[in-house]
This record gives sequence, structure tokens and C-alpha cells, in this order.
Amino acid sequence: MTDFDRVGIIGCGTMGSGIAQVCAAAGCQVTVLEVDDAAGTAGLERIGAFTAGGVSRGKLTEADRDALLSRVSASTDVAALADCDLVIETVVEDAGVKHTVLAAAAGVVRPGTVITTNTSAVAVTELAASVRDPARFAGLHFFNPVPVVELVEVVRGLRTADDVVTSLIAFAERLGKAPVEVKDRPGFLVNRLLIPYLNDVIQAYDDGLASADDLDVALELGLGYPTGPLALLDIIGLDTHEQASRNAYAGTADPQFAPPPLLRRMVAAGKLGRKSGEGFRVHAEDGTR
Amino acid sequence: MTATGPLTVGVLGGGTMGSGIAIVVARAGHNTILRDIDADRVGAGLDKVGAFLDRSTKLGKLPAHRAEAARRNLTGTTTLDDLAECDVVIEAIFEDTDLKARTFAELSGICKPDTLFHTNTSTLSVTAIAAGATHPERVVGTHYCNPAPLMKLVEVVKGRQTGDDAYQRTVEFLRSVGKVWVTTKDSPGFIVNRFLIPFENNCIRALADGLGTVESIDRAVTKGLLYPMGPFTLLDIVGLDIHRAVSLSLFDQLRDRRFAPPPLVDQMIAAGHLGRKAGQGFYRYDDRRAFGA
Repeated sequence: MTDFDRVGIIGCGTMGSGIAQVCAAAGCQVTVLEVDDAAGTAGLERIGAFTAGGVSRGKLTEADRDALLSRVSASTDVAALADCDLVIETVVEDAGVKHTVLAAAAGVVRPGTVITTNTSAVAVTELAASVRDPARFAGLHFFNPVPVVELVEVVRGLRTADDVVTSLIAFAERLGKAPVEVKDRPGFLVNRLLIPYLNDVIQAYDDGLASADDLDVALELGLGYPTGPLALLDIIGLDTHEQASRNAYAGTADPQFAPPPLLRRMVAAGKLGRKSGEGFRVHAEDGTR
Repeated sequence: MTATGPLTVGVLGGGTMGSGIAIVVARAGHNTILRDIDADRVGAGLDKVGAFLDRSTKLGKLPAHRAEAARRNLTGTTTLDDLAECDVVIEAIFEDTDLKARTFAELSGICKPDTLFHTNTSTLSVTAIAAGATHPERVVGTHYCNPAPLMKLVEVVKGRQTGDDAYQRTVEFLRSVGKVWVTTKDSPGFIVNRFLIPFENNCIRALADGLGTVESIDRAVTKGLLYPMGPFTLLDIVGLDIHRAVSLSLFDQLRDRRFAPPPLVDQMIAAGHLGRKAGQGFYRYDDRRAFGA
């Protein structure tokens, strides 16, 4: 079993910076790879801001935060990943782009290095064809916000070696996460269950079953869900959810994943949720309901 | 009926839901009459109420004098005639449309001309129940969650014939007993079961398809979606037989295959693995691991 002490993260957006943060918090040396210096700096600043919040809430000491930040560096040169024990790819959900960056990473790392993808949309087994050694390739699917949500899906591709799965589960536990091993099927496990439910609620809302507030209140109070479905969609972003639905539908031809007409219309109208100021509700500028 | 003074409220059925609703109503200060078909059932229902009130006091949730007042507000009967003065009658009897409708029809000849008839049905059509009652405009669905004394939510269901006045008075009544209500159309499963049942059936299908284990799917749902309980833990508490009955009822009404109980449910029932109450469901239980212990 491998200890992944040096971790390379390709892409330092919302997911990449969150993953970099939890890896550094667990003591790993982290290198984030971005397309240019500005993007790298923005990624590091995101980690700086999130951990500053942790300090002000008393979850993290100033000294621990400094140590954490000192373990993260940014680069624009893929050669910086050469010494990594583990690479986690977090770039845009585009199979072509992912293929290019994974092939580049596979070209510089040592034999035996485990390369993973944080994709939620592309088949892991398909992306495994990008690297020299598909047995050392798997999915490592974190959830947003990464420092908060405990679940990590460890996705076993058709050619992933057993010891790679075992090592990744141990690594996720070292990060303080709750890993589950899942099959390489559309939506893996959580999105496989979440997408049909959210689409079902959107359709029922469109059918006039109840108001947006009443739907959310019923599911929050009736089932103890932390966030009602329509409020959750506004947080996720309707465009993001529509894309996830389309991907799952394309991968299964199962109508329960098909994006409902109202969802498509709302995306077309620019009603994307919090990020655009309006989704199922109008949001204040600070992003609150 | 006024929003202020205590009302007289009849609760039909001394089972889990009926006794739970009786607690809600009596605790809020209304005169409450619990009715069931024989003295044993009435006694059992009143015992459940008493035990709950005792426990609430012991746990410091309800002062002794308020528990005592709730007890004084509550009487039991086996006779529908004793419900003549009721402002509201809430039925929590067997899930059978004809039985519920006939009971409301009989009460229409006994109760006052403005008595509200509330049905706590979870799977039947409020419109169909109202259709068999003498005064369908005064029939409203009020679906409480189990356990009723602890869960805040009530789904208020307007049947096609439900009058605006009856709806408004229903909402006032629910406010008086401290509930949070949502309003839904008379659509199978209303809101909560409408979305819970297909989600659970999807989890069962994912398990049967080998996408995960009982433990990993429960973990994914609690750690990834932050639901308070994993689907298989919840199904074991509800009981596989109950889950199957609710699923089939909704499937029959909606003709949507997502509501159909997957074959694994039938197999588990055939094997006697009904959940916690049988000692085995998706998980295995022994006395020491009993829920709430």
C-alpha cells in the first residue's frame, strides 16, 4: 500500500483548491498545476480565504493555517508533478481537455504513480485510456464544498488495480473523509440517487403540486434533509445540474435522468440560481435567500 | 369555530398515528375525545398518550402541570354519538377509502353543520374520501408525520371539493396546535412520500444492481447528502411490508414504474426480513441495538 505524501492537483478552481486544502491539512506536500500564474495565484488565494474563515471561527489555529499554506505551491509547468505519488485531475468537465492534461501528467510521473480524476461526468474507464498504466488510474470524486462534505467516492474503473482502490480508500480516511468504493457507472452513487430526485421535484413544481417554499419546507421538516431540493438547486447552479442530468441521461438513456423542460427554460433564461441572482428564488446580493 | 378558545376535537383511531395526534391536540389545550371501535383499543390508545406524557415530563420537555392538563383534556369513547359537539374530527383509521368516507358520512348526521372532517390518509385520495362523505366541502386532508407529537410538519391537502372556508379554518386549527403546514394538491403521496418512495426504491435498485452495499449506500447518503439517516436504516425502521404497501398504492395510482417496489423487497418479505421489528431487514438487529436505546 502506498502513502501519498506528495500530491499533484491539476486545476485549482473551486474543487481543486478545496482538495488541495484538505490534502495539505493532512500533512501532504501539494503542488497545484494551473494554466497561468494568475490562475495559480487565484487558487492559492481561495485556500487562503477559506482557511482564514476557519481561523476566525476557531476551527484552525493561526500557526496551523500558516503550516498548511506553506505546504501548497502553484506551478504552470507539468514537470512540477514529476515527484508526486498521487495526481488528482480537477479540470473542466470536458473529456478532450481531461484527456490532454492526463496524458501530459502521465508523461512526467514515475512508474507506479497513481493518477486520478475528480470527474463527476465522464466515464473513469474511458479517461483511463489517456494514461500509460490504466491499472494505476481511478476516480477520486470529492463533493463541494470539499473541506465540509465528508463523502469521497473512490471509483473503480474496469482496469483499476485492487491495491490502487485500497490505497485511495486509506488516503481518503487519512484526509478525515468518509470514502465509499463505487462502480464506474453514470453518476456513480450519490448523483445516481440525487439527480432523479431533483428532476422529479422540478417537474412536480412545474405541475403545480405546491409552491417552492412548501416543497422545500415539507422535505426539510418531513424528512430532516438539511436543504430543500429547490434551495439546493439554486446552490448547485441550474446549469451545472442540467449538464449533470444530460450526462447521466446520455450515459443511461433512462428518462429519470432527463432534464425536465422547466429546467432547460430556466437555464435558457439565465436563471441559474445564486450565482446569477435568481433561480427558483430571487437572491440577495450576498447570496442568501 | 374561533381561533382562540379551546375547541372540541374528535380523533378516530387509537393506533400510533391516532394516539400521536390526540397528544398534539390535547397538549395544545383542546378538549379531545379519542374514539376507537372497542374498549380495549380505546384503552390502549389512552395508555400510549399517558406513557408519552409521562416520558415528556421525565425528560424535562413538558412541565408536570401541563402534562396533567393534557391528561384532563382527553377522554375516550367507543361511540360516534359522543362526537356530536366536535368542531373538528380527525380520522386516523385503517387506510380504506370506503371506510373513511362512510365514517365521515355517518358523522355528518351526528356533528354540527360546520364541523371540519380531517383525514390523516397518507396514500389515498382526499377527493375520493370526500366524495363518499355527505359534506365533501368540509373534508380536508391533514397528513401528520410519525411520530406526530415530535414532528412539526403537516401536509394540508385540498381535495377538489374542499371549500376555501374549510381550508382556512384548518390552517387556523393547525396553528393552534403548533404545527408548520404546507399546502399540496390532492396528488398521490402528496409531497413527502411522493419524493421519498422513488428515492428509496432507487436505493434498493442500486443495491440489487451491485452499485454499492447496504453500508456504502447508507454512508454515501448520510455523508454526501447529509440526510439524517441512510435509506436502508430508514427502511428497516419503517418496515419492508409497510414500504411495499405504500409503494404499491402509489404505483397503482400513478402508474409510474419508479414507484413499483423492486423484486428485492418481495424477496425480503418472503424471507421474513421485514426490518427492525423482525430482528432483521437490510441490517441484523439484536436487543442491545434496539432503536433509541
